[in-house]
Amino acid sequence: MATVRDLRDRIRSLKNTQQITKAMKQVAAAKIRRAEAAQKKARPYADAIAEMLRDLIGAVTSVDHPFMRAGRAGAPAGIILITSDKGLAGAFNSNVIGAAEAFARTQSAIQYYTIGTKARNAVRRWGMADRPSWLLGAPSKIDTAREAARAVTDDFNRGSISEIVLVSQQLITMMSQRPRTRKLVPILKEDLASLDSARDDARNRGAIEFAPSPEFVLSKLLPKYLEFTIYSAMLETDAAFFAAQLVAMTNATDNASKLIDELTIQMNNARQAAITKELLEIVAGAEALGVE
Amino acid sequence: MASSLPFKLVTPTEVVFEGNAELVIAVTTEGEEGILPHHAPFLAALRPGILRANVLRDGDGPASRLELATSEGFMQALPDRVTVLVDEAVRFEDVVVAEARQELNDATERQKAAAGDATAHAREQAIIDFANAKLRLTGHR
Repeated sequence: MATVRDLRDRIRSLKNTQQITKAMKQVAAAKIRRAEAAQKKARPYADAIAEMLRDLIGAVTSVDHPFMRAGRAGAPAGIILITSDKGLAGAFNSNVIGAAEAFARTQSAIQYYTIGTKARNAVRRWGMADRPSWLLGAPSKIDTAREAARAVTDDFNRGSISEIVLVSQQLITMMSQRPRTRKLVPILKEDLASLDSARDDARNRGAIEFAPSPEFVLSKLLPKYLEFTIYSAMLETDAAFFAAQLVAMTNATDNASKLIDELTIQMNNARQAAITKELLEIVAGAEALGVE
Repeated sequence: MASSLPFKLVTPTEVVFEGNAELVIAVTTEGEEGILPHHAPFLAALRPGILRANVLRDGDGPASRLELATSEGFMQALPDRVTVLVDEAVRFEDVVVAEARQELNDATERQKAAAGDATAHAREQAIIDFANAKLRLTGHR
Protein backbone atom coordinates (compact mmCIF):
# COMPACT_ATOMS: atom_id res chain seq x y z
CA MET A 1 0.00 0.00 0.00
CA ALA A 2 1.16 3.52 -0.81
CA THR A 3 2.63 5.40 2.10
CA VAL A 4 1.19 8.62 3.42
CA ARG A 5 4.13 10.56 2.02
CA ASP A 6 3.71 9.12 -1.51
CA LEU A 7 0.05 10.06 -1.49
CA ARG A 8 0.76 13.54 -0.20
CA ASP A 9 3.28 14.07 -3.02
CA ARG A 10 0.80 12.92 -5.64
CA ILE A 11 -1.92 15.19 -4.30
CA ARG A 12 0.48 18.13 -4.33
CA SER A 13 1.47 17.49 -7.95
CA LEU A 14 -2.18 17.10 -8.96
CA LYS A 15 -3.00 20.40 -7.32
CA ASN A 16 -0.26 22.04 -9.37
CA THR A 17 -1.66 20.55 -12.57
CA GLN A 18 -5.09 21.75 -11.60
CA GLN A 19 -3.79 25.27 -11.12
CA ILE A 20 -2.45 25.18 -14.67
CA THR A 21 -5.63 23.80 -16.24
CA LYS A 22 -7.67 26.33 -14.31
CA ALA A 23 -5.52 29.18 -15.59
CA MET A 24 -5.71 27.87 -19.18
CA LYS A 25 -9.46 27.65 -18.86
CA GLN A 26 -9.67 31.30 -17.89
CA VAL A 27 -7.31 32.33 -20.67
CA ALA A 28 -9.37 30.37 -23.22
CA ALA A 29 -12.56 32.04 -22.02
CA ALA A 30 -11.00 35.47 -22.50
CA LYS A 31 -9.61 34.56 -25.91
CA ILE A 32 -12.97 33.26 -27.15
CA ARG A 33 -14.35 36.70 -26.58
CA ARG A 34 -11.54 38.25 -28.61
CA ALA A 35 -11.91 35.72 -31.42
CA GLU A 36 -15.64 36.30 -31.55
CA ALA A 37 -15.14 40.04 -31.72
CA ALA A 38 -12.84 39.55 -34.73
CA GLN A 39 -15.49 37.35 -36.37
CA LYS A 40 -18.11 39.99 -35.75
CA LYS A 41 -15.95 42.66 -37.35
CA ALA A 42 -15.65 40.55 -40.51
CA ARG A 43 -19.39 40.12 -40.89
CA PRO A 44 -20.21 43.41 -42.69
CA TYR A 45 -17.69 42.49 -45.39
CA ALA A 46 -19.18 39.01 -45.69
CA ASP A 47 -22.68 40.45 -46.10
CA ALA A 48 -21.58 43.05 -48.63
CA ILE A 49 -19.55 40.68 -50.78
CA ALA A 50 -22.35 38.11 -50.79
CA GLU A 51 -24.83 40.76 -51.90
CA MET A 52 -22.57 41.92 -54.72
CA LEU A 53 -21.99 38.36 -55.80
CA ARG A 54 -25.73 37.77 -56.00
CA ASP A 55 -26.22 40.88 -58.13
CA LEU A 56 -23.45 39.74 -60.45
CA ILE A 57 -24.61 36.16 -60.80
CA GLY A 58 -28.00 37.51 -61.81
CA ALA A 59 -26.45 39.64 -64.53
CA VAL A 60 -23.64 37.67 -66.12
CA THR A 61 -24.24 35.54 -69.15
CA SER A 62 -20.85 33.93 -69.51
CA VAL A 63 -17.68 34.45 -67.55
CA ASP A 64 -14.29 33.67 -68.85
CA HIS A 65 -12.59 33.19 -65.52
CA PRO A 66 -10.41 30.18 -64.61
CA PHE A 67 -12.43 29.68 -61.40
CA MET A 68 -15.53 28.99 -63.48
CA ARG A 69 -13.95 26.32 -65.65
CA ALA A 70 -13.39 22.73 -64.61
CA GLY A 71 -9.87 22.10 -63.40
CA ARG A 72 -7.32 20.15 -65.41
CA ALA A 73 -8.49 16.53 -65.55
CA GLY A 74 -6.25 14.09 -63.72
CA ALA A 75 -4.53 16.73 -61.61
CA PRO A 76 -4.59 16.14 -57.85
CA ALA A 77 -7.16 17.88 -55.65
CA GLY A 78 -5.85 20.75 -53.54
CA ILE A 79 -6.85 20.75 -49.88
CA ILE A 80 -6.50 23.78 -47.65
CA LEU A 81 -6.41 22.29 -44.15
CA ILE A 82 -6.84 24.66 -41.22
CA THR A 83 -6.02 23.70 -37.62
CA SER A 84 -4.78 25.56 -34.58
CA ASP A 85 -1.10 26.04 -33.82
CA LYS A 86 -1.35 24.56 -30.34
CA GLY A 87 -2.95 21.53 -28.78
CA LEU A 88 -4.58 20.88 -25.40
CA ALA A 89 -8.05 21.17 -26.83
CA GLY A 90 -9.25 17.58 -26.82
CA ALA A 91 -9.89 16.04 -30.22
CA PHE A 92 -10.27 19.43 -31.91
CA ASN A 93 -7.34 19.11 -34.31
CA SER A 94 -7.43 15.36 -34.84
CA ASN A 95 -11.09 15.62 -35.86
CA VAL A 96 -10.45 18.12 -38.61
CA ILE A 97 -7.31 16.28 -39.74
CA GLY A 98 -9.42 13.11 -39.84
CA ALA A 99 -11.97 14.87 -42.04
CA ALA A 100 -9.22 15.81 -44.48
CA GLU A 101 -7.99 12.20 -44.55
CA ALA A 102 -11.52 10.98 -45.18
CA PHE A 103 -11.83 13.34 -48.13
CA ALA A 104 -8.37 12.38 -49.38
CA ARG A 105 -9.41 8.72 -49.53
CA THR A 106 -12.03 9.62 -52.15
CA GLN A 107 -9.36 11.20 -54.35
CA SER A 108 -6.57 9.62 -56.33
CA ALA A 109 -4.06 12.30 -55.41
CA ILE A 110 -3.91 15.24 -53.05
CA GLN A 111 -1.84 18.36 -52.65
CA TYR A 112 -2.01 19.94 -49.21
CA TYR A 113 -1.80 23.57 -48.17
CA THR A 114 -1.81 23.95 -44.42
CA ILE A 115 -2.64 26.75 -42.04
CA GLY A 116 -1.78 25.98 -38.40
CA THR A 117 1.16 24.07 -36.93
CA LYS A 118 -0.87 20.93 -36.20
CA ALA A 119 -1.98 20.64 -39.82
CA ARG A 120 1.58 21.12 -41.03
CA ASN A 121 2.85 18.41 -38.70
CA ALA A 122 0.13 15.98 -39.76
CA VAL A 123 0.92 16.47 -43.44
CA ARG A 124 4.62 15.98 -42.74
CA ARG A 125 3.81 12.81 -40.87
CA TRP A 126 2.06 11.50 -43.98
CA GLY A 127 5.35 11.89 -45.79
CA MET A 128 4.57 15.08 -47.67
CA ALA A 129 7.27 17.47 -46.61
CA ASP A 130 7.74 20.90 -48.18
CA ARG A 131 4.07 21.66 -48.67
CA PRO A 132 3.20 25.35 -48.32
CA SER A 133 2.26 26.11 -44.75
CA TRP A 134 1.32 29.13 -42.66
CA LEU A 135 0.74 29.78 -38.99
CA LEU A 136 -2.80 30.36 -37.82
CA GLY A 137 -1.59 32.76 -35.16
CA ALA A 138 0.44 35.00 -37.47
CA PRO A 139 0.14 38.72 -36.64
CA SER A 140 -2.05 39.46 -39.64
CA LYS A 141 -4.56 36.75 -40.47
CA ILE A 142 -5.80 38.53 -43.56
CA ASP A 143 -2.28 38.62 -45.00
CA THR A 144 -1.94 34.89 -44.35
CA ALA A 145 -5.29 34.28 -46.05
CA ARG A 146 -4.16 36.33 -49.04
CA GLU A 147 -0.90 34.45 -49.37
CA ALA A 148 -2.65 31.10 -49.10
CA ALA A 149 -5.28 32.16 -51.64
CA ARG A 150 -2.54 33.27 -53.99
CA ALA A 151 -0.66 29.99 -53.68
CA VAL A 152 -3.72 27.84 -54.42
CA THR A 153 -4.89 30.14 -57.20
CA ASP A 154 -1.51 30.05 -58.93
CA ASP A 155 -1.41 26.25 -58.71
CA PHE A 156 -4.98 25.96 -59.93
CA ASN A 157 -4.39 28.25 -62.88
CA ARG A 158 -1.19 26.39 -63.71
CA GLY A 159 -3.10 23.12 -63.67
CA SER A 160 -1.12 21.48 -60.89
CA ILE A 161 -4.34 21.06 -58.91
CA SER A 162 -7.80 20.37 -60.28
CA GLU A 163 -9.90 21.84 -57.48
CA ILE A 164 -9.63 23.79 -54.26
CA VAL A 165 -11.20 22.25 -51.17
CA LEU A 166 -11.30 23.83 -47.73
CA VAL A 167 -11.32 21.63 -44.62
CA SER A 168 -11.76 23.46 -41.33
CA GLN A 169 -13.59 23.40 -38.02
CA GLN A 170 -16.98 24.94 -37.76
CA LEU A 171 -18.20 26.41 -34.51
CA ILE A 172 -21.70 25.03 -33.99
CA THR A 173 -22.16 26.10 -30.40
CA MET A 174 -19.75 26.88 -27.60
CA MET A 175 -19.88 23.21 -26.66
CA SER A 176 -19.55 21.63 -30.08
CA GLN A 177 -17.42 22.03 -33.16
CA ARG A 178 -17.71 20.03 -36.34
CA PRO A 179 -15.24 19.71 -39.22
CA ARG A 180 -16.56 20.91 -42.56
CA THR A 181 -15.30 20.08 -46.06
CA ARG A 182 -16.19 22.68 -48.69
CA LYS A 183 -15.39 22.69 -52.36
CA LEU A 184 -14.51 26.30 -53.23
CA VAL A 185 -13.18 26.17 -56.78
CA PRO A 186 -14.14 25.55 -59.55
CA ILE A 187 -17.48 27.25 -59.15
CA LEU A 188 -19.66 25.38 -61.59
CA LYS A 189 -23.03 26.23 -63.08
CA GLU A 190 -24.76 23.82 -60.69
CA ASP A 191 -23.40 25.69 -57.68
CA LEU A 192 -24.76 28.91 -59.04
CA ALA A 193 -28.18 27.39 -59.57
CA SER A 194 -28.60 27.47 -55.80
CA LEU A 195 -28.38 31.23 -56.05
CA ASP A 196 -31.39 31.36 -58.32
CA SER A 197 -33.61 32.90 -55.70
CA ALA A 198 -31.02 35.65 -55.59
CA ARG A 199 -31.48 36.08 -59.29
CA ASP A 200 -35.09 37.09 -58.71
CA ASP A 201 -33.97 39.41 -56.00
CA ALA A 202 -31.59 41.10 -58.38
CA ARG A 203 -34.32 41.45 -60.99
CA ASN A 204 -36.55 43.17 -58.51
CA ARG A 205 -33.86 45.73 -58.02
CA GLY A 206 -34.16 46.70 -61.66
CA ALA A 207 -31.37 47.10 -64.14
CA ILE A 208 -27.99 47.42 -62.53
CA GLU A 209 -25.27 49.28 -64.33
CA PHE A 210 -21.86 47.61 -64.16
CA ALA A 211 -18.56 49.32 -64.77
CA PRO A 212 -17.01 48.19 -66.97
CA SER A 213 -19.04 44.94 -67.30
CA PRO A 214 -20.55 42.36 -64.95
CA GLU A 215 -18.11 39.75 -66.29
CA PHE A 216 -15.12 41.93 -65.45
CA VAL A 217 -16.36 42.82 -61.98
CA LEU A 218 -17.11 39.17 -61.26
CA SER A 219 -13.65 38.11 -62.40
CA LYS A 220 -12.24 40.60 -59.87
CA LEU A 221 -14.65 39.61 -57.16
CA LEU A 222 -14.10 35.83 -57.28
CA PRO A 223 -10.46 35.94 -56.07
CA LYS A 224 -11.50 38.29 -53.24
CA TYR A 225 -14.25 35.91 -52.34
CA LEU A 226 -11.75 33.04 -52.09
CA GLU A 227 -9.42 35.14 -49.92
CA PHE A 228 -12.21 36.16 -47.66
CA THR A 229 -13.60 32.62 -47.33
CA ILE A 230 -10.18 31.42 -46.17
CA TYR A 231 -9.89 34.39 -43.81
CA SER A 232 -13.27 33.80 -42.22
CA ALA A 233 -12.52 30.06 -41.87
CA MET A 234 -9.34 31.05 -40.01
CA LEU A 235 -11.30 33.29 -37.67
CA GLU A 236 -13.81 30.53 -37.07
CA THR A 237 -11.05 28.01 -36.37
CA ASP A 238 -9.62 30.42 -33.83
CA ALA A 239 -12.92 30.86 -32.02
CA ALA A 240 -13.73 27.14 -32.20
CA PHE A 241 -10.28 26.23 -30.90
CA PHE A 242 -10.64 28.30 -27.76
CA ALA A 243 -14.16 26.96 -27.25
CA ALA A 244 -12.78 23.40 -27.50
CA GLN A 245 -9.92 24.28 -25.18
CA LEU A 246 -12.31 25.77 -22.65
CA VAL A 247 -14.28 22.52 -22.58
CA ALA A 248 -11.14 20.37 -22.42
CA MET A 249 -9.66 22.42 -19.59
CA THR A 250 -12.92 22.47 -17.65
CA ASN A 251 -13.00 18.67 -17.84
CA ALA A 252 -9.35 18.41 -16.84
CA THR A 253 -9.92 20.66 -13.83
CA ASP A 254 -12.97 18.64 -12.76
CA ASN A 255 -11.14 15.35 -13.18
CA ALA A 256 -8.24 16.64 -11.11
CA SER A 257 -10.66 17.63 -8.34
CA LYS A 258 -12.19 14.16 -8.32
CA LEU A 259 -8.79 12.50 -8.21
CA ILE A 260 -7.60 14.79 -5.44
CA ASP A 261 -10.69 13.89 -3.36
CA GLU A 262 -10.11 10.17 -3.84
CA LEU A 263 -6.44 10.39 -3.01
CA THR A 264 -7.14 12.52 0.06
CA ILE A 265 -9.45 9.81 1.42
CA GLN A 266 -6.80 7.18 0.69
CA MET A 267 -4.21 9.29 2.42
CA ASN A 268 -6.38 9.78 5.50
CA ASN A 269 -7.07 6.04 5.65
CA ALA A 270 -3.39 5.29 5.37
CA ARG A 271 -2.54 7.78 8.09
CA GLN A 272 -5.21 6.39 10.40
CA ALA A 273 -3.98 2.86 9.74
CA ALA A 274 -0.44 3.92 10.65
CA ILE A 275 -1.64 5.53 13.91
CA THR A 276 -3.70 2.50 14.84
CA LYS A 277 -0.78 0.23 14.13
CA GLU A 278 1.54 2.31 16.29
CA LEU A 279 -0.98 2.33 19.15
CA LEU A 280 -1.34 -1.43 18.95
CA GLU A 281 2.40 -1.83 19.08
CA ILE A 282 2.67 0.42 22.16
CA VAL A 283 -0.14 -1.41 23.94
CA ALA A 284 1.32 -4.80 23.01
CA GLY A 285 4.75 -3.67 24.20
CA ALA A 286 3.35 -2.41 27.50
CA GLU A 287 1.52 -5.65 28.10
CA ALA A 288 4.66 -7.65 27.45
CA LEU A 289 6.53 -5.60 30.05
CA GLY A 290 3.71 -6.23 32.50
CA VAL A 291 2.89 -2.54 33.03
CA GLU A 292 -0.42 -2.12 34.86
CA MET B 1 -29.52 70.62 -45.54
CA ALA B 2 -28.52 68.71 -48.62
CA SER B 3 -29.91 65.24 -49.00
CA SER B 4 -27.64 62.38 -48.00
CA LEU B 5 -27.52 58.62 -48.11
CA PRO B 6 -26.09 55.89 -45.86
CA PHE B 7 -22.48 55.17 -46.77
CA LYS B 8 -20.40 52.24 -45.57
CA LEU B 9 -16.70 51.63 -46.17
CA VAL B 10 -15.71 48.07 -45.28
CA THR B 11 -12.48 46.03 -45.25
CA PRO B 12 -12.27 42.35 -44.31
CA THR B 13 -11.02 43.25 -40.85
CA GLU B 14 -13.17 46.25 -39.95
CA VAL B 15 -15.82 48.79 -40.85
CA VAL B 16 -13.72 51.88 -41.60
CA PHE B 17 -16.62 54.27 -41.93
CA GLU B 18 -20.34 54.03 -41.45
CA GLY B 19 -22.58 57.03 -41.61
CA ASN B 20 -24.28 59.41 -44.01
CA ALA B 21 -22.70 61.03 -47.03
CA GLU B 22 -23.87 63.68 -49.47
CA LEU B 23 -21.37 62.58 -52.10
CA VAL B 24 -18.98 59.67 -52.56
CA ILE B 25 -16.25 59.76 -55.20
CA ALA B 26 -14.25 56.62 -55.93
CA VAL B 27 -11.76 55.67 -58.62
CA THR B 28 -13.22 52.87 -60.68
CA THR B 29 -11.33 51.00 -63.38
CA GLU B 30 -13.11 53.32 -65.82
CA GLY B 31 -12.23 56.56 -64.06
CA GLU B 32 -13.59 58.58 -61.16
CA GLU B 33 -17.22 58.09 -60.35
CA GLY B 34 -19.26 60.32 -58.07
CA ILE B 35 -22.33 58.99 -56.32
CA LEU B 36 -25.14 61.25 -55.13
CA PRO B 37 -28.31 60.14 -53.38
CA HIS B 38 -30.86 58.37 -55.58
CA HIS B 39 -28.22 57.04 -57.91
CA ALA B 40 -29.32 54.26 -60.25
CA PRO B 41 -28.12 50.77 -59.21
CA PHE B 42 -24.45 50.61 -60.02
CA LEU B 43 -21.65 48.14 -59.32
CA ALA B 44 -18.03 48.83 -60.23
CA ALA B 45 -14.54 47.50 -59.68
CA LEU B 46 -12.25 50.01 -58.02
CA ARG B 47 -8.63 50.74 -58.73
CA PRO B 48 -6.25 51.69 -55.93
CA GLY B 49 -6.65 55.40 -55.43
CA ILE B 50 -8.07 58.09 -53.21
CA LEU B 51 -11.65 57.78 -52.08
CA ARG B 52 -13.36 61.03 -51.22
CA ALA B 53 -16.69 61.61 -49.56
CA ASN B 54 -18.62 64.49 -48.06
CA VAL B 55 -19.84 62.92 -44.85
CA LEU B 56 -22.18 64.13 -42.17
CA ARG B 57 -20.69 63.39 -38.78
CA ASP B 58 -23.72 63.70 -36.56
CA GLY B 59 -26.97 63.93 -38.41
CA ASP B 60 -27.32 67.51 -39.65
CA GLY B 61 -24.05 69.29 -38.92
CA PRO B 62 -22.13 70.68 -41.89
CA ALA B 63 -20.60 68.06 -44.15
CA SER B 64 -16.94 67.30 -43.65
CA ARG B 65 -14.48 65.86 -46.13
CA LEU B 66 -13.37 62.25 -45.71
CA GLU B 67 -10.33 61.23 -47.73
CA LEU B 68 -8.69 57.83 -47.66
CA ALA B 69 -6.21 55.93 -49.73
CA THR B 70 -7.86 52.69 -50.76
CA SER B 71 -6.54 49.53 -52.41
CA GLU B 72 -8.41 47.47 -54.99
CA GLY B 73 -12.07 46.87 -54.30
CA PHE B 74 -15.65 47.36 -55.34
CA MET B 75 -18.35 49.96 -55.04
CA GLN B 76 -22.02 49.19 -54.97
CA ALA B 77 -24.42 52.10 -55.29
CA LEU B 78 -28.15 51.70 -54.79
CA PRO B 79 -30.74 54.48 -54.67
CA ASP B 80 -30.74 54.30 -50.87
CA ARG B 81 -27.14 53.43 -49.94
CA VAL B 82 -23.53 53.13 -51.06
CA THR B 83 -21.18 50.34 -50.01
CA VAL B 84 -17.48 50.33 -50.76
CA LEU B 85 -15.48 47.14 -50.24
CA VAL B 86 -11.70 47.38 -50.30
CA ASP B 87 -8.78 45.29 -49.10
CA GLU B 88 -7.32 48.19 -47.19
CA ALA B 89 -8.24 51.78 -46.47
CA VAL B 90 -5.84 54.20 -44.82
CA ARG B 91 -6.66 57.60 -43.40
CA PHE B 92 -4.37 60.56 -43.88
CA GLU B 93 -3.11 60.42 -40.29
CA ASP B 94 -2.36 56.69 -40.49
CA VAL B 95 -0.09 56.87 -43.52
CA VAL B 96 3.54 56.21 -42.68
CA VAL B 97 5.37 57.92 -45.51
CA ALA B 98 8.61 55.97 -45.15
CA GLU B 99 6.72 52.68 -45.21
CA ALA B 100 4.72 53.66 -48.28
CA ARG B 101 7.94 54.63 -50.06
CA GLN B 102 9.48 51.30 -49.10
CA GLU B 103 6.43 49.39 -50.41
CA LEU B 104 6.60 51.37 -53.62
CA ASN B 105 10.29 50.58 -54.14
CA ASP B 106 9.95 46.90 -53.22
CA ALA B 107 6.99 46.40 -55.55
CA THR B 108 8.76 48.19 -58.38
CA GLU B 109 11.77 45.92 -57.92
CA ARG B 110 9.62 42.79 -57.84
CA GLN B 111 7.72 43.94 -60.89
CA LYS B 112 10.97 44.35 -62.81
CA ALA B 113 12.16 40.93 -61.67
CA ALA B 114 8.89 39.31 -62.77
CA ALA B 115 8.96 40.75 -66.28
CA GLY B 116 6.86 38.67 -68.64
CA ASP B 117 4.55 37.23 -65.95
CA ALA B 118 1.29 39.08 -66.51
CA THR B 119 -0.36 38.04 -63.22
CA ALA B 120 2.64 39.02 -61.12
CA HIS B 121 2.91 42.27 -63.04
CA ALA B 122 -0.70 43.18 -62.32
CA ARG B 123 -0.32 42.18 -58.67
CA GLU B 124 2.71 44.41 -58.14
CA GLN B 125 1.07 47.22 -60.09
CA ALA B 126 -1.81 47.19 -57.60
CA ILE B 127 0.67 47.54 -54.73
CA ILE B 128 2.48 50.35 -56.55
CA ASP B 129 -0.77 52.21 -57.21
CA PHE B 130 -1.87 51.84 -53.59
CA ALA B 131 1.49 53.09 -52.31
CA ASN B 132 1.26 56.02 -54.72
CA ALA B 133 -2.25 56.79 -53.51
CA LYS B 134 -0.99 56.89 -49.92
CA LEU B 135 1.82 59.23 -50.89
CA ARG B 136 -0.52 61.46 -52.88
CA LEU B 137 -2.94 61.59 -49.97
CA THR B 138 -0.20 62.96 -47.74
CA GLY B 139 1.03 65.36 -50.39
CA HIS B 140 4.31 63.56 -50.95
CA ARG B 141 3.79 63.16 -54.59
